[in-house]
Amino acid sequence: MGIRASTLLLFVALAAVAIANEPTRPISGSNSGSNSHSAVERPATGRDATSIEWNARNAEHLLNRAGFGARPAEIAAAVNVGHAAFVEQLLTGFRPDYEPFFVERIERPDRDELQAMGEAERREFLNQVQRDNRRQLAQFAGWWVDQMLESHHPLRERMTLFWHGYFTSSARDVRSSAAMIEQNELFRTRGLGKFGELLRAIVRDPAMLEYLDNNQNRKGNPNENFAREVMELFTLGEGHYTEADIKEAARALTGWVTRRGEAAYVKGRHDNGKKTILGVTKNFDADSFLALLLEQPACPQWLAKKLLVHFEGRTPSPARIDDYASFLKSNDYDVRAFLRRLFLDPAFYSDDVVAARIASPIDYLVGTSRRLSVEPPPALLWLAAGQLGERLFEPPSVKGWDGGQAWITTSTLMQRGNMAGMLLGVVKLEDVLRPEVLDEEPEPGDMSGEMTGEMTGDEAGGDEMSGDDGESRRAPRAKPDAKPAKKKPATPALKGEYGQMGRMLADAYIPAIHLSARLQRAQATNDHAAVDALADELLPVALTPESRAELVRFLASEREALGIEEAQLCKSGRDGERLLRRLAHLILSLPEAQLS
Amino acid sequence: MTSRPFDRRALLTGFGALGGLALVSSRAHGAVRLFSSELDPREPAPHMLLLVQLSGGNDGLSTVVPYADDAYRAARPTLGFAKQDVLVLDDYKGLHGELEGVRKLLDARKLAIVEGVGYPNPIRSHFKSYEVWHTADPRGRAAGQGWIGKLGDVAWRDVQDPNLVVHVGANVPYSLESAAHPPAAFVNPASYRWAGEKEDVDAYGKMGDSEGKAESNLEFLRRKVADSQASSQKIRSAVARYRTDVEYPDEPFGAALRDVAALANGGIGTRVLSVELTGFDTHTGQRARHDNLMKQLDRGLTALAADLERSEAGKNVVGLVFSEFGRRVKENGSRGTDHGVAAPCFVFGASVKGGLYGKHPSLTALDAGDVAHTTDFRSVYATLIERWMGADSSRVLGQKYPTLGFLG
Repeated sequence: MGIRASTLLLFVALAAVAIANEPTRPISGSNSGSNSHSAVERPATGRDATSIEWNARNAEHLLNRAGFGARPAEIAAAVNVGHAAFVEQLLTGFRPDYEPFFVERIERPDRDELQAMGEAERREFLNQVQRDNRRQLAQFAGWWVDQMLESHHPLRERMTLFWHGYFTSSARDVRSSAAMIEQNELFRTRGLGKFGELLRAIVRDPAMLEYLDNNQNRKGNPNENFAREVMELFTLGEGHYTEADIKEAARALTGWVTRRGEAAYVKGRHDNGKKTILGVTKNFDADSFLALLLEQPACPQWLAKKLLVHFEGRTPSPARIDDYASFLKSNDYDVRAFLRRLFLDPAFYSDDVVAARIASPIDYLVGTSRRLSVEPPPALLWLAAGQLGERLFEPPSVKGWDGGQAWITTSTLMQRGNMAGMLLGVVKLEDVLRPEVLDEEPEPGDMSGEMTGEMTGDEAGGDEMSGDDGESRRAPRAKPDAKPAKKKPATPALKGEYGQMGRMLADAYIPAIHLSARLQRAQATNDHAAVDALADELLPVALTPESRAELVRFLASEREALGIEEAQLCKSGRDGERLLRRLAHLILSLPEAQLS
Repeated sequence: MTSRPFDRRALLTGFGALGGLALVSSRAHGAVRLFSSELDPREPAPHMLLLVQLSGGNDGLSTVVPYADDAYRAARPTLGFAKQDVLVLDDYKGLHGELEGVRKLLDARKLAIVEGVGYPNPIRSHFKSYEVWHTADPRGRAAGQGWIGKLGDVAWRDVQDPNLVVHVGANVPYSLESAAHPPAAFVNPASYRWAGEKEDVDAYGKMGDSEGKAESNLEFLRRKVADSQASSQKIRSAVARYRTDVEYPDEPFGAALRDVAALANGGIGTRVLSVELTGFDTHTGQRARHDNLMKQLDRGLTALAADLERSEAGKNVVGLVFSEFGRRVKENGSRGTDHGVAAPCFVFGASVKGGLYGKHPSLTALDAGDVAHTTDFRSVYATLIERWMGADSSRVLGQKYPTLGFLG
């Protein structure tokens, strides 16, 4: 059975609106310094806007943080434009218009229709609706990752990702893919605007209303979930309100519900009585409640800290939070103005900030693809990021992703290297999932380690959204009662999410990389120079001397094993190219490669 | 770009550092021997601790159900269970109907239920309440590393083994955070490796630094590279080798528990294991969701307990099942429950003195709509630390808490 109910094509035509709202600023091509401009933008904080040298290091840093990594040519272009002018380009986008995604509203049948069906038909129908939703969201995830890869407006996508982790909603709880996509478009079109407007939009956002149970929050029967998270995670932070405030705030939020996928205000569900929130007593509704929150000193503090942590990758000092919070407050919570100030702030380019942040899986995968100049299927990167702990549209909790060191476990660290190896074409999925070959002969009746010939977990028919938390368990597992292996066990067929990735790698990806040519261009004619040139192109940060020494040792020893002369490395055809890719694989697996 | 100097490795080649290395490796060697299958019979077998986190806030009143309490039935008009729905424990309370395996363990005195576990000035935020449980401190992360990290500082000191603490799952709980004994973590043992040619794998292994103090992100990453190399081969091998005739449920929680049993029996030096079952934040439509979670919990624990019974190593595991808070006594308007306070914990294992501990919280003397806790969770920790892990609980928890009778 296909999609039976009528489907409504929604054209998300917000792009044009977004462009209209972008302030246009003249972009000077000259290499004028940043001083004059930043001095204009800064409020009188008493601090001098000290100039920084606008060089490749700082330009790459800005591109790493405001976007998703830089190709060498993009760094050079940014340096050439000049600091202040380049910041303006980032704030408006290089090519801000985009071809929007067509959202199909996959209708759920209403209760009467469902009741008219037989049990089997109903189940089949609902499964089909679920599959269609998952498929659409998977397509949109690919579309989004493609926006990041293309980077026509990297900061807009960066902010979309930021808000996705801030105003979280999860496809595990929100059944409508259209609602998840429209929320994402909200972030894309308003994410650089005023925070207050975004906040007001979020209490009218269908995905959010469903995710935080506001459909169940009504007069006389409040549900506190939304009110709690609005105060704890969206505006104030824990410790700036009481449990009684939450109970009262829940009443203020009553009335906002979803009806057939759209947000609606149902007057009869709204609690029209007086509420006392944060010491103020009046007949609060959603907007007056939010206005009260925006007036709290804790609110700009909370948002400033979140933005600083995201972009700087360190815990900001109280003074720095105060400074940026008062800027937010006096600029009507203007996110674009905040970011302009930050990107021109010399402290943003200090040694504690540059190259000191642990890259998120998306940062790592999109950044690596951009630095390698390869074009993997965007959906592959989406699945891979999910395996590494950042599954778009499925944040681990309402708090979003913890980020920082929490991205790195002993497992995800190695999986990052494996993904890089796949992008380079030197690692196959089967190499990662290879069955364990035990050192000793198994005792009679002992566990064999043999793999069954298939993977589990594909019963749902290859759903695009697996619902797994991070790295998939849907991989081959040793079957407990398998018979002892007679020979080296066979590699199992790949199914489920790994299967999808395997098919994409096999059918839709060619690692079109020519590292030998890159080294020739860089005139790298010895091992040290080859390591330096590759590291410079592939790493978002500088190589440490320890790693450099190990890499040179590796290259020299493997080159000799292959009988390649040092000076001939770039001209040694397939053998030389493969060795360089193995070297690149090691470089991208380094501790340094996980920073950006 | 200019390189930033990192010269710790150069410093480490000094005489003092070499001495330190030798000392550490001899201790590590001792640890390996102690934990290996050729155990010296004169040495006591190492005790292991398993943490099972029920994430989202498990509804304690739907776990140990006060079915006979009028206040309970009044507060739970749609979610309440009647006597015939529960596994009756006494004339006041019973276990959730899906917990049949748990009931059998309880009857066999291999499982203890500690009732009304919580802490003073309870916090109803998931994240902050996790932090309190994970650090055993009301200040949460501000108080430093996790309580297992603190236990490690007291109990294992200089032992360097990346598999001392292992989380099976994607989200490593903060309780395991430790500068000295950071946890290993994996979801799927089959893919727990860095793939490449042998020479490449060897080279990758040299990119880490197992002595790293992890003060900067880069040092943290160097340490992780070293730990991942040392951890992964042993874990893959232990899981591949493991053989059991116990059937685990075919779902992620069951698979994770099977890995737990494999590691407990693997002789790879693991002392603390951790797993998570998610989905307990039942604000709406609680009944079906919570019933299903109880079923998953029950069949997982039943399989694991049966499996651990089969070996000496398995008998040296004690498991703690906990959640960051219970739920509000009164159900909300959406057939769900909001964030609450105290809830029961389970402790299980061959050495556990099964039975009911603590006191079921009163449903009439409520504090802002919530039951008041009757046992501080740090008493549960203190019991595990002192009577099972053999460490001074006051050094881990900062002060003495009364221990309970479920061990020793």
